[in-house]
Amino acid sequence: MSVEADRNGKTLSEQSVLGGHAPRTQRTGESLPFDDRLHLDAHRWLVDEAYLLDAQDYDAWMARIAEDVHYLMPVRVTTALGAGYSTSPGMAHLDENKYSLSRRVARFATEHAWTEDPPSRLRHYVTNVRTFRTDKQDEIIVDSAVLLFRSRGDVREAATVSAGREDLLRRTGTGWALARRTIMVDESVIRMQNLAIFL
Amino acid sequence: MTDQTSVIQDVQRGMIPAHIYNDKDIFELEKERLFGRSWLFVAHESEVPEAGDYVVRRVLEDSFIISRDEKGEIRALFNMCLHRGMQVCRAEMGNASHFRCPYHGWSYRNDGRIVGLPFHQEAYGGEEGFKKKGQTLLPAPSLGVYNGLIFISLDPDAEPLEDFLGEFKFYMDYYTKQSADGIELRGPQRWRVKANWKIGAENFAGDMYHTPQTHTSVVEIGLFREPKAEKRKDGTTYWAGSGGGTTYKLPEGTLEERLRYVGYPDDMIERMKEQWSQEQLDVVGKDGFMVSAASVFPNMSFVHNWPRVEEDSDEVLPFISIRQWQPISEDETEIVSWFAVDKNASEEFKALSYKAYLMCFGSGGMFEQDDVENWVSLTSTAGGPMARRLLLNSRMGMLENGQNVVEPLSAEEYSGPGSTRVGYSEYNQRELLLRWADHLERPMEKAAQLRVGTDPIQPPPAAGADPSRAAGSTAIAAAQITSQEA
Ligand code: FES
Ligand SMILES: [Fe+2]
Repeated sequence: MSVEADRNGKTLSEQSVLGGHAPRTQRTGESLPFDDRLHLDAHRWLVDEAYLLDAQDYDAWMARIAEDVHYLMPVRVTTALGAGYSTSPGMAHLDENKYSLSRRVARFATEHAWTEDPPSRLRHYVTNVRTFRTDKQDEIIVDSAVLLFRSRGDVREAATVSAGREDLLRRTGTGWALARRTIMVDESVIRMQNLAIFL
Repeated sequence: MTDQTSVIQDVQRGMIPAHIYNDKDIFELEKERLFGRSWLFVAHESEVPEAGDYVVRRVLEDSFIISRDEKGEIRALFNMCLHRGMQVCRAEMGNASHFRCPYHGWSYRNDGRIVGLPFHQEAYGGEEGFKKKGQTLLPAPSLGVYNGLIFISLDPDAEPLEDFLGEFKFYMDYYTKQSADGIELRGPQRWRVKANWKIGAENFAGDMYHTPQTHTSVVEIGLFREPKAEKRKDGTTYWAGSGGGTTYKLPEGTLEERLRYVGYPDDMIERMKEQWSQEQLDVVGKDGFMVSAASVFPNMSFVHNWPRVEEDSDEVLPFISIRQWQPISEDETEIVSWFAVDKNASEEFKALSYKAYLMCFGSGGMFEQDDVENWVSLTSTAGGPMARRLLLNSRMGMLENGQNVVEPLSAEEYSGPGSTRVGYSEYNQRELLLRWADHLERPMEKAAQLRVGTDPIQPPPAAGADPSRAAGSTAIAAAQITSQEA
């Protein structure tokens, strides 16, 4: 996936405006065999996460997010082949740390977040999962593709978002935690009324 | 097209036929008579800082390349090859000295002039068959720049941009001229919503009334301290020239204390004091009002807010955003939303202000999420036959006999231009829709046509040749394309 390095040889997390605090761990070597224990753990983690996000169980989701998380969704732009970049410099849809994620989640817990009352019906389809070791014992990189189907109301046209993700997962005392996520959305113009969802 | 006379008359009385928010015939009329001649915001000079930089922006179906040519001048070029009409630039942004058409290989300099026409001699017999010399991509009929904001109009006889903006320039400076060098723009984020474009423009122009209800949740989570019902109605709505907006009432204090209250650091305050006129400073320091949302007719908006963005800190951080409500159809709008920040602000301020923007507005913003939900719902309801029976009352602030509920502030009470009132009202929404009705009422002149390769062509207009003017104001006359009525 193209999140590894952009035009300056820097990752998108490194280039982002608010990613200064982000862990910098990178993948090493080939993807792991699908029967590797680490890959099985990673795959299970992502599928469990998809169920939590579908159910909008955001407290449980936040419990799986590391304190130093960087959650980044760049804005994609169409550029000429060879331009060396495909994201809008200095701009993102989401460029979050744990506090700003916690505000988003807290908002859904109020009785006045009208955009999700009535709630959307969500389905996160997660596929193309592959796992890499890093030079840290307790950290792995996981690539995946995600397709979100979102339906609101009875007859409104449903919206979808397709994206690739690169995650950094860290082993903690209570299981794996998300320490960094870069979401490469596949559209330049988002066809969804807002991003009151997580990918 | 059906006759819209009664719709226009209703709107002029402040009664809004609900179906105007989802009506195909009305939309066709808007495309022709409103977007066909209004000044429309397309980009900011800071998006194309270097020679060869370009961004591609749309005005409804028309695509324009906004480029900075080798001499540093800003160009707005219709993105259609003069040969068979292919898009010559298919990227959204980049840097190029030339654009080469992928179809047959004609190429154009970044000022629009044609340079390469393969087999000109063999295929056309040279200049005698096709006058290549002086041909350029079709420039936008009118181009104007204020504070680095680039506007185009499809009307070659559009009044100068600054005349059009008029007294609204006074308010635009708060958003785009906080120091001599003005703003830099980042983004845009773009996303599509199933809502009519007018709703957002009206909301940003003057809807203080929705804030306490729609945006309750952002106060509850500690993001924003202001939109409590009691506070919002102490602010004002103002209309001046071609735009209008809302303000918040600031607590007692000096100019400096009040600017600090919304989170500006002292170095920025010093630059504002150098930059703004006494009247602009007095609106804040003497009268105690701070600009919030605003719209310029027809579809450009601004927002300025000051949320709390960091844990364990009560400090607020101001941010500015500029946006365009780009109509796609009668029931769909592409929101194009930029983050703007003063060029001379510190890097630390810029980063935190950007964070404030992301948390509040734009594709992921928490204010925005609830707004759009309302507008989508309104639009879908407006599409059916029952909506045609409803004339929505958009007369808030006026009694039945036309008397004001609240009189405008006097010159002693308020230092800014235009008409300004404290409290909730729909004066600004009416101002927007009155202009909308005026445009829809007025038939269009037939547009000039250009015969490619046979008509003589004059060079297209440009703006901002001198980089020192980049953040200043320039208004450029219409393109003088010699043409014949076809
Ligand atoms: S259409 Fe552009 S060169 Fe033919
Ligand atoms: Fe709002």
